[in-house]
Amino acid sequence: MKRTTPERRGTIAMSRRLKAGSAVGALASALMVAGVVGAPNAFASTRHASKVTTITWWASPISTSGPDLRLTEINAFEKANPNIHVKLETAPTSTDTNRADLVTTISGGAKSPDVFMGDVIWPGQFGAHNLALDLSKYEPKSFFNRFAPGLVAGASYKGQVYGAPFFQDQGFLYYRKDLLAADHMSVPTTWEQLKSDAVTLVKQGKVKYGFVWEGASYEGGTCDFMEYYADTGGQVLNATDTKSVLNTAKVTKALAFVRSLVTSGASPAAVDTFQEPQAMDAFQNGQAAFLRNWDYAYAEANAKGMKSAGKVGVAPLPTFAGQSYPGYSTIGGWNLYINPHSRFISADLKFINFITGVQGQNIEAHPPFSEIPTNQAVRSDPKVKALNPPFAILSKTRLIARPAQSPNYPKVSQAIFSNFNSAIAGSKSPSAAASAMASQVATAVSSSSGL
Amino acid sequence: MASTELAPGKVVAPPSRGAPPKILPDLIQRRYARLGWGFAAPALVVIGIVTIAPIVFAIFMSFEHVNVTSSGFSFTGATFSNYHLMVTSGLWQHALWWTVVYTIVTVVVELVIGTIFALVLENLTGGRGLMMALLLIPWSLITVISAELWSYIYNASFGVLDSIWPNALGTPLSATLALMVADVWKTTPFVTIIVLAGLVMIPRELFEASEVDGASSWDIFWRVTLPLLRPTIGLAVLFRALQAFGIFDLPYVLTSGGPGTSTQSLAILAYNTMFTDINFGPGAAVAVSAALLVVMMCLVFLRAFRQQVGKEEVPA
Amino acid sequence: MSMRIHRGWGRYFNFSTVGSFIIALFVIVPLYWMVASSFKTQSNVSASPAQLFPVPVSTSSYTAAFNDGFAHFILNSVIVAVCTTTLVLFLGTLAGYALGRMPMRGKYPIMVTLLMISVFPTIAVVPALYVVMRTIGWLNTYQALIFPYTAFNLPFAIWILRNYFLGISRSMEESARIDGAGALRTLVQVIVPQVTPGIFTAGVFTFTACWTEFLMALSFDFGKKTIPVGIASFGAQFTVPYGAYFAASVLSVIPVAALVLIFRKAVVSGLTAGAVKG
Repeated sequence: MKRTTPERRGTIAMSRRLKAGSAVGALASALMVAGVVGAPNAFASTRHASKVTTITWWASPISTSGPDLRLTEINAFEKANPNIHVKLETAPTSTDTNRADLVTTISGGAKSPDVFMGDVIWPGQFGAHNLALDLSKYEPKSFFNRFAPGLVAGASYKGQVYGAPFFQDQGFLYYRKDLLAADHMSVPTTWEQLKSDAVTLVKQGKVKYGFVWEGASYEGGTCDFMEYYADTGGQVLNATDTKSVLNTAKVTKALAFVRSLVTSGASPAAVDTFQEPQAMDAFQNGQAAFLRNWDYAYAEANAKGMKSAGKVGVAPLPTFAGQSYPGYSTIGGWNLYINPHSRFISADLKFINFITGVQGQNIEAHPPFSEIPTNQAVRSDPKVKALNPPFAILSKTRLIARPAQSPNYPKVSQAIFSNFNSAIAGSKSPSAAASAMASQVATAVSSSSGL
Repeated sequence: MASTELAPGKVVAPPSRGAPPKILPDLIQRRYARLGWGFAAPALVVIGIVTIAPIVFAIFMSFEHVNVTSSGFSFTGATFSNYHLMVTSGLWQHALWWTVVYTIVTVVVELVIGTIFALVLENLTGGRGLMMALLLIPWSLITVISAELWSYIYNASFGVLDSIWPNALGTPLSATLALMVADVWKTTPFVTIIVLAGLVMIPRELFEASEVDGASSWDIFWRVTLPLLRPTIGLAVLFRALQAFGIFDLPYVLTSGGPGTSTQSLAILAYNTMFTDINFGPGAAVAVSAALLVVMMCLVFLRAFRQQVGKEEVPA
Repeated sequence: MSMRIHRGWGRYFNFSTVGSFIIALFVIVPLYWMVASSFKTQSNVSASPAQLFPVPVSTSSYTAAFNDGFAHFILNSVIVAVCTTTLVLFLGTLAGYALGRMPMRGKYPIMVTLLMISVFPTIAVVPALYVVMRTIGWLNTYQALIFPYTAFNLPFAIWILRNYFLGISRSMEESARIDGAGALRTLVQVIVPQVTPGIFTAGVFTFTACWTEFLMALSFDFGKKTIPVGIASFGAQFTVPYGAYFAASVLSVIPVAALVLIFRKAVVSGLTAGAVKG
């Protein structure tokens, strides 16, 4: 199931103990290492411990159970900054509901929340509508050097940085090691190979579905589309994010391929209603041999009681034949933003500085959390790389960002995922869906009507 | 217990009920009117204070260029462009068409099933209270959860219905039907309860008289029961239609308006335009358009059911 | 109804018992699925093929719901729904009576205006109401929901109640003399008892409307989450916590069921009154 029980979290941690020592020990040592780095900061803040500022952090649940990453970060931060108290406000888990609520409150002039955790695709929109503070006005350029390459560009709009990357996510290919080994198959490096392997396994009756992924009509569809489309060499927006440069021939190629996944039997027809949970369920239930999903899926698929447990391998996504391996992975994850009406901006900045710093990032990278750190120093730390298989292959993957620098991104994305979805379902031919997508994206980028 | 008719039609009403007697002297009439205003005032004041300002604001917003600035909303000039955009938008046209069809189909189906259910329950001699309590459960379920229940039932990986109805949410038509099934399950009880209330108030002697005339039960249903139920059915249809027209939670959770935008209702379109695309002007226009259409629907409806629903002092 | 007049049909397998059985099935089958799934273990909730009975029975979904603060949500919901329903019924009865029975001018425009208000999409009023609530400092208080809920549910209640008042006997009213200072007392003692089914109907609809409302609760009262807002924070990204949703749903049916049981007499007698009256 999708809820991770405490017992399950426990076993995940246990399986990792082999490599990282005990989960608690790993966390403690990470805190100690990071503590040295964070020390001057801690000394500075204890000096004026008299007046306590309380800031509110709005963040949706990150893990389903076990220790709460948000509270762990807050505790570590408060220990280092005794004069700042952080109050956690649990946001809705649905990204769209979360955004709707933030739009209502911030546009209504609310001073709280002070800091909010928001999707990586929000900077264009939140920047354009004054819903987030321009961090580059308050932080020196050097501050942003801590992040892995590309992430700051993704958090920017018109040259200003609105979000501080908190944790990163990206697409991975998960596969059933046992099934591949039984048929002497190698891990697919091209989409074509993936398709034929999936068909073979389905025809042999070893799995009900070959390859499951996210084809529903929602944001995740755009994520999956971007991977196929980038693998054809296509781009969505021009360099200034003001014009669509969608290439109809390349889109058609990508769409024809995903449609063929369904018609060949490599993927189920119902994949056009699959979001992450459905794809994850099919894979966990042993119904599928291949899965495209995010970082969290590795732990979920190996959780106790799942048919896939202990049989799961992870690899970078494949690409189309003739392109250089690996294929592209869409960037996901969450940034930290500051409410422009916040009364405690310096405290907000301290908090952001802490949890995107070495100590905060070590906390999130280590079990039981295992989120991909955004801080380059932490990411490239060999000890962190050794924590789990997805981290180990991070440096081999190639990333592609969604065209979220357009302030009209939601409409752009809708133009993409709705046509992607129609092509998968077969209700539009690949070429018809491609030309519809091209014209709708072009309209969406240039007009801010929303209709 | 005294008679408790939902809305007496002329057919049923004995002379002592219905229209106020005209014999009351003017003075008393006036005093009663003053008393009436006194009784109605608290409710009207509460409604006025809370709802009028935001509704006026929303209508105003729909005629403005709206921006969100660091100091809140800013309006940069009156315009009809929001409405122009809306009317020419394929999304709006589709949402309108879909919402209308969805409303008509679900209301008709719920009305037919709900009336049959009410007839059944009316004949039940024991356990009616239990059945009523049972019927109220789906109705009182939190819509978001009831939508999740159906998403669980339709789930393509482990849903119980998937073997019978594979990929229920996969195509526009199938997804619309799937939504209707979930809607009918949840709201038919509402219709049943309202119709049942009307049914039990039909005086029994009317049936007995027909029986003496030798009418078949089918005839009695069409010639006696149904005409007498008309006001009740009118009320049920009115409120169900209003609710169905504003449908939001169910498709928002179950299909997110998909596949594509094929099950996007007007309310979802308004919501997405305002809060997802952050375009308050056009979003407000969509919301106002939905309200306007409903009001027009109501007025047409009230005209048709004037005698029953808007009884007394309806201008001709 | 008509069927009643046929005597001697099968005593047990007649139209109404068979029909009731079908109705019960119609309601119960999806409900059973919800209740059964709420007692499944975390991994069995998404087992394929689906488990028809929860084996082993597990209460972990309920634990999960309570760990996520469900007790608070249900308390908040009860407070908001009960206060709103009381206010709506009190104000609505007065107004419904006046608009149904009193010789006031301009009743028709008022009724139509009320209808328009009750159908105006919540989505469009939320941004403006939010600013109002923030300005008067009501955000995250119970009254931030009680007042809008009262205002938006009153029109519907007035419509229902007015239709019931239209149907009561004029002579009863005349003998009781709605007049002068005693008017309110007469209304409460003589007139209101005659419309208990109407009050019940309006009450149930108001209560369930408050119970299930999402958008205003999300925007105005995040600090005092009602059930729909509370469960929106269940789970995490990429997960659908069906077990916890269903457990929450089973639990949230309890207050509504209790309400119906408390007022059972009003429901049943109200709905059979006409038949008895003959």
